[in-house]
Amino acid sequence: MSLATTTEQRELRATVRRFLADRMPLTRVRELMATDTAFDRQVWDGLAGLGVQGLAVPQAHGGAGYGFGELAHVVEECGAALLPGPLLATIGLALPVLLAADDHRYLPGVASGRTVATVAWLAPGGGWDSAGESLTVANTDAGWRLSGSASTVLDGLVADLVLVVAGTGAASTVVAVESGGTRTALPALDQTRPLARLDFDDVPCTPVGRVGDGARLLDTALDTAGTLLAAEMVGGARACLDMAVGYAKVREQFGRPIGQFQAVKHKCAEALVAIEGAEAAARYAAWAADENPAELPVVATLAKASAAQAYFRAAADNVQIHGGIGFTWEHDAHLYFKRAKASLMLFGDVGAYRRRLADRLGL
Amino acid sequence: MTPSPIEYTAAQREFRAEVRDWLAANAPAEVRGLRVPRGPSDLDERLAAWAATLAEAGYLCVAWPTEYGGRGLTGVEVSIMNEEFGRADVPRLTRGMGESLVGPAIIAHGTDEQKRRFLPPIISGEHDYCQGFSEPDAGSDLASLRTTGVVDGDDLVLTGQKVWTSGFWKANMIFVLCRTNPDAPKHHGISYVLLPLERDGRPNGVEFRPITRITGKALFAETFLTGARAPLDNVIGGLDNGWRVAMTTLGSERGGSATTQHVAFLRQFWQLVDEVRARGLIGDVRVREQLAWAYTQVETIRMAGLALVADLAGGGTGRGLGNGSTSKIRWSEYQRRLTEIAMDLLGPDALVVGDGYDLDHWQEEFLVTRSHTIWGGTAEVQRNIVAERVLGLPKDPAPGGTR
Ligand SMILES: Cc1cc2nc3c(=O)[nH]c(=O)nc-3n(C[C@H](O)[C@H](O)[C@H](O)COP(=O)(O)OP(=O)(O)OC[C@H]3O[C@@H](n4cnc5c(N)ncnc54)[C@H](O)[C@@H]3O)c2cc1C
Repeated sequence: MSLATTTEQRELRATVRRFLADRMPLTRVRELMATDTAFDRQVWDGLAGLGVQGLAVPQAHGGAGYGFGELAHVVEECGAALLPGPLLATIGLALPVLLAADDHRYLPGVASGRTVATVAWLAPGGGWDSAGESLTVANTDAGWRLSGSASTVLDGLVADLVLVVAGTGAASTVVAVESGGTRTALPALDQTRPLARLDFDDVPCTPVGRVGDGARLLDTALDTAGTLLAAEMVGGARACLDMAVGYAKVREQFGRPIGQFQAVKHKCAEALVAIEGAEAAARYAAWAADENPAELPVVATLAKASAAQAYFRAAADNVQIHGGIGFTWEHDAHLYFKRAKASLMLFGDVGAYRRRLADRLGL
Repeated sequence: MTPSPIEYTAAQREFRAEVRDWLAANAPAEVRGLRVPRGPSDLDERLAAWAATLAEAGYLCVAWPTEYGGRGLTGVEVSIMNEEFGRADVPRLTRGMGESLVGPAIIAHGTDEQKRRFLPPIISGEHDYCQGFSEPDAGSDLASLRTTGVVDGDDLVLTGQKVWTSGFWKANMIFVLCRTNPDAPKHHGISYVLLPLERDGRPNGVEFRPITRITGKALFAETFLTGARAPLDNVIGGLDNGWRVAMTTLGSERGGSATTQHVAFLRQFWQLVDEVRARGLIGDVRVREQLAWAYTQVETIRMAGLALVADLAGGGTGRGLGNGSTSKIRWSEYQRRLTEIAMDLLGPDALVVGDGYDLDHWQEEFLVTRSHTIWGGTAEVQRNIVAERVLGLPKDPAPGGTR
C-alpha cells in the first residue's frame, strides 16, 4: 500500500470529523471531564457504527481488515476534537497485545465496540519502566491468579477487559482479567483522559500469549500505542494552531491584529513546521505498522517524540498567543495544553523516547 | 525486499529501469563516489566531461519541456532519476542556476527567439550563469534595488553594484535585476536582463571583487556594473516587467529532490556516530539523546519527502504536504544545529584547523550552515512567508521583498 492518503481515507476522516463535531463538541467534552469515567457509551457505539474500532482487526475476527494507516487518520480527528474515551487504550494498547499474542478470544468484541479494553502495567509510585514490578501472577491449583496493584491505567474504570502485565518469576506474562479486583479513579491532570488504579487480590485470570512473553507483548503494544498517540497529538496540535491563528487574526492591539506582529507570526510558522514534520512521521509509522513492521520499533519511537514536541509547543504557544483569556478555565486552550503535556509524558517523556531510539538504532 | 511506500505507475517504473540501464552502461568509473566540491577543484575536468555526457544523453535540464531540449520530467520522475543516480553513486550534475532559475524564467516569459537563443547554451554548458540580484542596500527587501538600466539604442546599459554573487569564478553570464523606470512603484520599474560578461571578446563593464566567506574561501563577490551593455533582446518578459519574471525564477522548484535529500544527511549522521564512537562517547546519555534527536530530524525529512512523492505519484497535487518554505526551515535549521552538536562532541580537536585555514568536514559544515538560513530568503523571511501565505495571517504593514 502507498503512503499517500487514499480517497477512502479522506472520506472516512471527513465522516468521523462530522460525527465528532456533532456529538463531541468541546462543551460535551467538558461535561464528560466532570465525571470519573469521561466515557460516553453512545459516542463509542456511534464510532463502532462507523467501523472505527474494527478498522485494524482482521476480517476473520470480525474486523474490517484495514489497518493502522486508516486508524491514524481517524485518530488525528479524535485528537483534534479532544475526544475523551478508551480508543487509545482499546485499539492502541490492548488490540496489539491480542494480535501479537495470537489470542483471538476478544477480537470480535473489540471490533464491534462491545468490548472496551485497556492494558495495566505501571507500579504505583514507579516510573514508566516499572512494568510488572508490583503485580504477580501464578498458576495455582485453582487456576491462574493475579495479585498486586497497577497505577496510571488508561480508562481503567470502564474497561471490560484488562490485560495486565504481571511478574511470573524472572519474566513477565500478560493475563486477561474480566472481573474482580477493585478499581479506583485517579483524578487526572488531563481530565479528558481518565486514569485509574487497579488492585487485585487473588483474582482469576487467563494468560494471553505465551507465559514469560509479557515484555515483548508490552513493547509491541507501546510501539502501536505510540504510533496512534502520535497521530492523536498531530491532530491536537493542528487544532491548537488553528485556534491560535484564528485568534491572531481578530484580536487587535496597538491598532492592528496581533497576527501582524512577527513574534506572534513566527510562533505560528514554527508550529506549522513542527506539525508537518510530526505528521509525516506519524503517518509513516502507521504505514509501517501495516506494511513494514520490522521498521516500527524505530519509526514509532521517533514519531512519538516528534509529535509530543510539536503538540506541546503548539499548545503552549496557543495559550501564550491568547494572553490572559488563555489562562482561564473557561477558555479551551488549557484543555489542549493539559492533553499535550499528559500525552508527551505518557509511556515516557521526550528524553526517554530519544534514549529508547538510540538503543534501537544500536548506537 | 522492503515494501515501498510509493506506488509508481508502469511508466514511472519503466523510466526508472531506463535510467538505471543507461547509468550502468554509461557512467564512467572515475565519477563513481565523487562528491561535487563547493568551489574550484582538481575534479573540475572530470566533472565537466561527465556533464557533457549527461547533456548529450538528455540528462540535464530534465524538468524543462522537451521542445526546449529538456526531458519534460515531472517531479516524481526527477525524484526517480535522483534515486537512481544515488544508487549508482554518481554525481547528479545540473547546470546550476542556469538550469533551475534562468531556464524556467525564459520558458515562462521569454519570446520564441529568446528561447532558441538562450536555452540550448545552458544545456551545453556554453553559458554559465551567476545571479546579480542582491545589492548592498537591497537584501531581503530585494525590490528596493537601485542598479539602473538605461535604454541606449538597441542596448540596455547597466550601472550599479551587486553583491554576494555566488559562482562568479566560473560564470560567463550574469542575470541581473535592474531599475529601468525610477518613477514607477517599487515592484513595477524593474527589468530582468541576461548580461554577458564579455562582448565580442572584450570586457563588458562587469567587475567582480571576490569576498572571502567565513570559511576563508572567496566563493562569492561584489559585482560592479559600469556601463555594462546587453542587447534589449536580452531583457526577459519585457522592460519594467522583471519582478514577475524574477518571482517565477524563485518559485520554480518543487518535489524532485524530496526522496533523496536525506541521503547525504543520513551519511553525515552515521559519520558522526562513528566519530563519537571512536572517541568513546557513545555511552553518554546526553550524547545518545542528541544523536537520536538528529536521526529523528533526518527521518522526518525522509518521511515528509516520501509522503509528498507518494501523493504526486498517485496523481495528487501534494497540497498540505509542506512547501518550499517549511521544508527549507526544517533542513537548514537541522543542519545548523547538527553541526553545532558535532563540534561539541568532537571537543578540542574541532578547535584546530589545518594550514592555510584548511577545514575538516565538521568545521566547514559548522561554518557553511550559517549561510543556509540567509541565502534564498532568510529564516525570518521564510517564517513571514509561511505565516502570511500558508496560515493567512495579516501582512506586515510595510511589506518587504518576497525572497
Ligand atoms: C552564501 C550566500 C550566497 C548568496 N548568493 C547570492 C547570489 O548568488 N546572488 C544574489 O543576488 N544574492 C546572493 N545571496 C544574497 C542573499 O540572497 C541575501 O543575503 C539575502 O536575501 C538576505 O539579504 P541581506 O544579506 O541583505 O540581509 P538583510 O535583508 O539585511 O537581513 C538582515 C537580517 O534582518 C532580517 N530581516 C530582514 N527583513 C526582515 C523582515 N521583513 N522580517 C524579519 N526579519 C527581517 C533578516 O532575516 C536577517 O536576519 C547570497 C547570500 C549568501 C549568504
